Amino acid sequence: MVSVQIIVLLSIWQSFPAGLIPSPLRIGEALGGLLTSSLLWDNVLVSLLLTLKALLFSVVITLVFAYLSVVPFFRPLAHFIVKCRYLTLTGLIFIFTLLTRDGSQLKLSLLVFGIVPFFTTSFLSVITHTNAQEFELCQTLGYGRWQSLYEVIVVGKADQVFEIVRQNFAIAWMMITMVEGLSMSEGGVGTLLIKYNKYNDLVHVMALQAVIFGLGLFFDHLLGRLRHWFFPYTKL
Amino acid sequence: MTIYSKGETLLQVKDLSLTYDNKCILHDINFSIEDIIRPGIQQGQVVSLIGRSGIGKTQLFRILSGLQKPDKGEILVRESTPWSLRPVHAGDMGVIFQNYYQFGWRTVEQSLRLAAHQNKALTGHETEAISEYAAQFDLSDVLKRYPRQLSGGQQQRVSIIQQLLKGSDFLLLDEPFSGLDVCVLDKVVSLLLKVSLSHEFKTLIIVSHDITTTVAISDTVFILGRQPGIEGSTIVRSIDLMERGLAWQDHVHEEKAFVETIREIKDCL
Repeated sequence: MVSVQIIVLLSIWQSFPAGLIPSPLRIGEALGGLLTSSLLWDNVLVSLLLTLKALLFSVVITLVFAYLSVVPFFRPLAHFIVKCRYLTLTGLIFIFTLLTRDGSQLKLSLLVFGIVPFFTTSFLSVITHTNAQEFELCQTLGYGRWQSLYEVIVVGKADQVFEIVRQNFAIAWMMITMVEGLSMSEGGVGTLLIKYNKYNDLVHVMALQAVIFGLGLFFDHLLGRLRHWFFPYTKL
Repeated sequence: MTIYSKGETLLQVKDLSLTYDNKCILHDINFSIEDIIRPGIQQGQVVSLIGRSGIGKTQLFRILSGLQKPDKGEILVRESTPWSLRPVHAGDMGVIFQNYYQFGWRTVEQSLRLAAHQNKALTGHETEAISEYAAQFDLSDVLKRYPRQLSGGQQQRVSIIQQLLKGSDFLLLDEPFSGLDVCVLDKVVSLLLKVSLSHEFKTLIIVSHDITTTVAISDTVFILGRQPGIEGSTIVRSIDLMERGLAWQDHVHEEKAFVETIREIKDCL
């Protein structure tokens, strides 16, 4: 059904008179060329490594602050991080440039800064909506405060942390093209995209967008599968 | 008439009151549960707390389990060494919630193991204890399953075993008979009776509005109700079923005294 809809859509697009927007066939040709070139895969690898590194840092930072947020002293800090969603990255680039050693660190820190507030928001929401009966069952089993927190929040919410990682991978993957434009020496899909844009090579821009889109969908699916594998009860 | 006597106090509720939003919910609740001694039998206690819906049974249940603090009064439970009474804490009572809540991320076996680890008497023998209980309660086949894969009856049995493995003498059950069909109801009743006979100090406190079923397996009944002109609920009547010869009887439903007792309880509500 979906395949038919896509084919119909592409056929309509193809039937439009040639203008500034390239036709699907031309994009397809460019995509074929890109997929067989090492240029694309080298740059994809750079972007993927940076995204995964940023995700790893973000997960660690978020979990530390989110777990600590159950202690009243640390709650305001966690809530401040949530509010940081409204800070624009563009306005902070200069400060981050001063604080970091090189372009690689700059990209990583900007990505982490961009992801952590969204990640924290999602995870705090999970913690806030914890069923009170989960803690009560711990109490009736004679658990202490820390033991209850470990069971309910750390173990009990691990599957939801994984789901949040999956959702935030999308944010990181979307931001990667932006931050890679800040330091182009290391390459990456963002750098490649900027280069094609610079020469107004719309055919390759669209082909690269298709690759970025496809890879995003692939990793979303992969993370979903991994979640079911690690936490079988999420399938029930 | 069955021979029995009453021993030490196992639980004492003293002058308990609870207000919520400036509204009195419970006031001056006083009762105690004593060890029932029957020659040649490990006879535990089965006490029922009966009351209409909305009378404050759930609040009393939560206070008894130590999950909620009363505004006034206290609940004292038996301390085994030395023999004395001390205030109840969350964890002293085994609690079986009405919805048989279990950790959704743990298999039955993992949940039971968590409970067994809390029981020092089982140290090193957790696996054997779990297998034994699972076999006894017909749950051996579902040990690797998650709570969502269990039927309501199985979930209830898992909840009971979990609290038994934890090793507390008191077992608080919130509406254990609600929503059960006749066949399952009989199984649950015999299960509870089996639990009550497992240890001399094992004490089941059943909070329910199913009068007939609850009274049939109890030795003592406390009725939670309202007194005219007084806000909030209190224990309006206590009935010693042993005195009436209605405790521990297999076909108690058929006895005239039982039918009269049920009528008497209904009149109090």
